[in-house]
Amino acid sequence: MELFVQTVVSGMLVGGLYAAIGVGLSLVFGIMGLTNIAHGSLMILASFFVMFFSRQVTGGVVTALLLTLAIMALIGALTQGLLINRVLDKGPESALLVTFGLAIIAQNVLQLVFGADYKSISSPFASVNVIDTRWVIVSGEYMVNFLVSVAMLLALHLMIRKTRLGRSIRAAASNVVAAELMGVDTKRAYIYAMCLAMLTGSMGGLLVGQTFGFYSYSGMSYLIIAFGVVVIGGMGSILGTLIGGFILGLAQLLGAYFFGPGVQVLVGYLALLVILALRPRGLLSNMTRK
Amino acid sequence: MGARTSGIRQIGGAPGPRGGWAARKPLVLAAAVVVLALLPLYASDYGISVGILIFLYMSLGQMWNLLAGYSGLVSLGQQAFVGIGGYTLAMVTQAYHMSIALSFFIAAGVSLAFALVISFPIFKMSGVYFTVGTWIVSEALLVFFRNWAFVKYDAGYNITVAYRISMPALYLGALAVGLGATALVYFILRSRMGLALMAIRDDESAAEARGVRLYRTKLACFLISSVYTGITGVVLYLNITYVKPGAAFGIDWTVCMVFIVVIGGLGTIEGPVIGAVIYVILRQYTYNFPGISMIMLGVAAVAIIMLAPEGIMGAVHGRFGFRLFSTERRPPPGTGPRQYPEDAADV
Repeated sequence: MELFVQTVVSGMLVGGLYAAIGVGLSLVFGIMGLTNIAHGSLMILASFFVMFFSRQVTGGVVTALLLTLAIMALIGALTQGLLINRVLDKGPESALLVTFGLAIIAQNVLQLVFGADYKSISSPFASVNVIDTRWVIVSGEYMVNFLVSVAMLLALHLMIRKTRLGRSIRAAASNVVAAELMGVDTKRAYIYAMCLAMLTGSMGGLLVGQTFGFYSYSGMSYLIIAFGVVVIGGMGSILGTLIGGFILGLAQLLGAYFFGPGVQVLVGYLALLVILALRPRGLLSNMTRK
Repeated sequence: MGARTSGIRQIGGAPGPRGGWAARKPLVLAAAVVVLALLPLYASDYGISVGILIFLYMSLGQMWNLLAGYSGLVSLGQQAFVGIGGYTLAMVTQAYHMSIALSFFIAAGVSLAFALVISFPIFKMSGVYFTVGTWIVSEALLVFFRNWAFVKYDAGYNITVAYRISMPALYLGALAVGLGATALVYFILRSRMGLALMAIRDDESAAEARGVRLYRTKLACFLISSVYTGITGVVLYLNITYVKPGAAFGIDWTVCMVFIVVIGGLGTIEGPVIGAVIYVILRQYTYNFPGISMIMLGVAAVAIIMLAPEGIMGAVHGRFGFRLFSTERRPPPGTGPRQYPEDAADV
């Protein structure tokens, strides 16, 4: 029973982190209908940036993170402005294949520069337990992951709902022609959206890099987690992403609890496929794009 | 991918300026096949091994193109069938000591059964959900094989029977698979089903309104592509001779298929042929610089989607009007749309 409680708590905590990994993907899909295959690889790129800057340039994780956020926002803006915006009108497959190409480029460049070894970012919270009772033990690291992720999702939600920028992004998402008639530069709104996605992805990259470690090809497995979260929660819904994260995290850890740790990932995938088969557009999604 | 020219081209009575070529085409193609089949007689071992790869990747490309280029089913999960082919070969020959020939039939059967089973959930999803769903299916299969005692978990199998196959024999097998895939796609497109596919590609709802059965046509394409990819997987693993879950069910297979088709030309029969030649040669030349070839392929694919979204073959066709395998057809007399002079001149 103690183990079960622990499993549920861990599942929820990991789920929060999964939501942080997935929210950028969800945002980009909801706003421009693009499935960003490069999301995971760009996230891992951010992990490498944080690792590199904190070791070689700044010495601290916080300054390294700020530097990484700036660079990743720039990368997002350039990718969107120079590549994706130009093929978006030609149909969803072209843009999807561009991001697929970007993912392959990113992970192979990382492999070339940093080699194929596992890396990690040191975390000051790794060895501290913030909750330590008979029922449940929570390490500081997981708690920080969870809190940062939830705070980030809430901030993003408020930003999309309440600010002028968020309003222009939502306008571009719901009706391109009407938004442009009202004076919204939709292509520019897409660039902002991609920057936001890159910022959340960088945070996800930092947290994942501290908790699980990463190597150049990790991006694809995190992309699948991101897909899982987004598909369960419904593409384009930020709070749905959080619920999707909880469900996937719980499914994985409960799967490990009942059937052994080897099938943890498999149970997550099967839960995903079942949900997709029953609700082909995601569990919480009742909106359809256009 | 935008509307393309319709499958039916209106040709006025005259056979057109390329009538001579049309008459000689079967002969030229037959001669080309003979030259290719005799390659082991005049090529080095290295040349033969490159030939094997080209034809096998050609087959993978053709089958992915049949899905993505003609049926609109952009799948990122076809590596599942490569893995099924490889593991069937390993289990049939290593664990049960039966013949290689049998593993082709079993691989085809297992691929068909698996494709049928997953088609129920997968075909409920559309668009990107289909793309993601197929990928998750094959990732799940990868994890399943890693935890399956029957296939020795992650340890994999040495396929020792493959050592006894000579290079020329393997080459002929690869040639048959590669050209067979090309011919198969050609005949599918020339068939009634091909017409249905092109109608779906150009306008899905219009096609359905005119009586095309969307689900059945797409399912048939998915099954054909999956079975043939499984058979290709058997030959691929006769060449690789060592099967392991991570490599057999890896996304890398689909990465190759996507690049081959996108570079060559999505939705053209010649595209995967050209794409496979470029892919294999590029990979061989950059063999000593691991990683570089994938980066170059990535850059090439992005550049081609940006600059020439129809791929090399699309660009060639757009500029010169040349097509080796035309899937266009003439309407039977009296049934086609009314012919206008400017249409006839537009050939």
